Amino acid sequence: MAAYQLLIIGGGLSGIAAGIRAARFGLKTLILEQHTLPGGLNSYYLRQGRLLETGLHAMTNFAPPGAKQAPLNRLFRQLHLSRKRFEFHEQLGSEIRFAGRSLRFGNDSALLEAAIDREFPEAVDRFRQLKEAIAACDPFAAAPWRSARQFLAEHLRHPLLEDMLLLPLMIYGNAEEHDMDLGQFVIMFRAVFEEGFFRPGGTMREFLDLLVRQYREFGGELRYRSPVAAIETDGERVVGVRLEDGEVLSADTVLSTAGIPETMRLSGWQGDRTRYAGRMSFMETISFVPRANAASLAQGRTIVFYHNGPRLDYRRPEDYLDTSWGVICFPGNFSGLPPEDPAQIRVTNTASYPRWHGLAAEAYGPVKERWTQAAVIASEEIVGNYRPSIVYQDSFTPVTIERFTRKAEGAVYGSGIKIRTGATPWANLFIAGTDQGYLGIVGAMLSGITIVNQHVLR
Amino acid sequence: MSRDEIKDVLLEIIADIDEEADFASLDADAPLRDQLDLDSMDFLDIVMELRKRYKLQIPEDEYPQLATLTSCVNYLEPKLQNV
Repeated sequence: MAAYQLLIIGGGLSGIAAGIRAARFGLKTLILEQHTLPGGLNSYYLRQGRLLETGLHAMTNFAPPGAKQAPLNRLFRQLHLSRKRFEFHEQLGSEIRFAGRSLRFGNDSALLEAAIDREFPEAVDRFRQLKEAIAACDPFAAAPWRSARQFLAEHLRHPLLEDMLLLPLMIYGNAEEHDMDLGQFVIMFRAVFEEGFFRPGGTMREFLDLLVRQYREFGGELRYRSPVAAIETDGERVVGVRLEDGEVLSADTVLSTAGIPETMRLSGWQGDRTRYAGRMSFMETISFVPRANAASLAQGRTIVFYHNGPRLDYRRPEDYLDTSWGVICFPGNFSGLPPEDPAQIRVTNTASYPRWHGLAAEAYGPVKERWTQAAVIASEEIVGNYRPSIVYQDSFTPVTIERFTRKAEGAVYGSGIKIRTGATPWANLFIAGTDQGYLGIVGAMLSGITIVNQHVLR
Repeated sequence: MSRDEIKDVLLEIIADIDEEADFASLDADAPLRDQLDLDSMDFLDIVMELRKRYKLQIPEDEYPQLATLTSCVNYLEPKLQNV
């Protein structure tokens, strides 16, 4: 008999959610996390007594309690967590800014339609038809890849509006360059424009603590500082894993959340790993400024998606960073949050992994400093100046992301090619998380849940 | 277990799965899924909970027999007679 019925590689959100499902129904389950903290891509770190979150700008998929089929409420039921004991803070409102044109939206989906009616009255009827076409889509049905750009162009015939709608959906959940699969577009459109942004009370630390506590209450085991060196196979099955310290753990089933390229490397899965390496990675800069200064910058907004330039060019940049488009997030600006002083401003831009990876150790610091400044200056053109009032600042690059999460090339949305079924060449090795295909915090957890439901529990 | 006991167990399991489940107007002969707005994931949880509690293996092709509260009780009565 194997030591564990289920071994999960990775203590990120998909791994913990998968673990909760398995442990809840009595399976002997172990999660192996290489880092000293849980969370994976959505974790936190401490610097000079400050807690900095790594991934979270906002959670998507906000839903009121009664909407039972909404992804958020399904998630709570599946994890056996009470919504009633959970604090939700909805966004104040967000903005999409393209060279002088602006669309404001919020968790009331009528706001976006009204904004389009004001800014692009010629396109509002076609936008309504677009929403009907989206409502008629089933993004979870198996379907070949279809171009979201083409779908948008056919419905809207308005390149600027098409780009403005695509920007938040791509930045918050598109692994592909240039275009997006229609199914993924529909999932993201609903998650962002129809359901909307919120964040839990407290920080990512409290949220992760809650999940880990739930997992452990069901009897699940979790080990930190336990990097996996190999997935051990025997013929058509996997038999367990070997840790970097040499310990071997046997298991009936292994679930890897480390991404397809990393899972290939660990298991000796034959194939071209580069095909599955995602190209979209980001650099993020977190600045702390006195609350009084932050309020005039945010002007009641939670997130600003900005773009300067002719057409939206969603791809890995040639240079270290592309500051011509990005996201500016004010994480303190959700309704009902206690005032935070100093307040944070987070700026995210797409970054080139090969550039950052190729830097010599002594050059990395100065180059990072230079691009941190560039990112902040670009954001000041959108929200106003704040450099003189910054009391603390930190940033992380694609190299940092890869080191802490094992996501190949720091690709936060993983491979452009997803394996929706979670299946691998081995009958009892599955993948979940980013490369299975559901993205974001809610999506990652539903990914872990879905794969365990389909392949482990029945 | 008596039919009433089985019924109580089922309602308890559903209440545990869905803290918002409202049984006040539940029709025992109408599909549970429609009335309680449950999905296939919730349904799996009912099956898994029965397995955990009573070591009961319910094959997937027999899931349709769990459609209503009455059909659940009919289906489970012989399986739980010695519990």
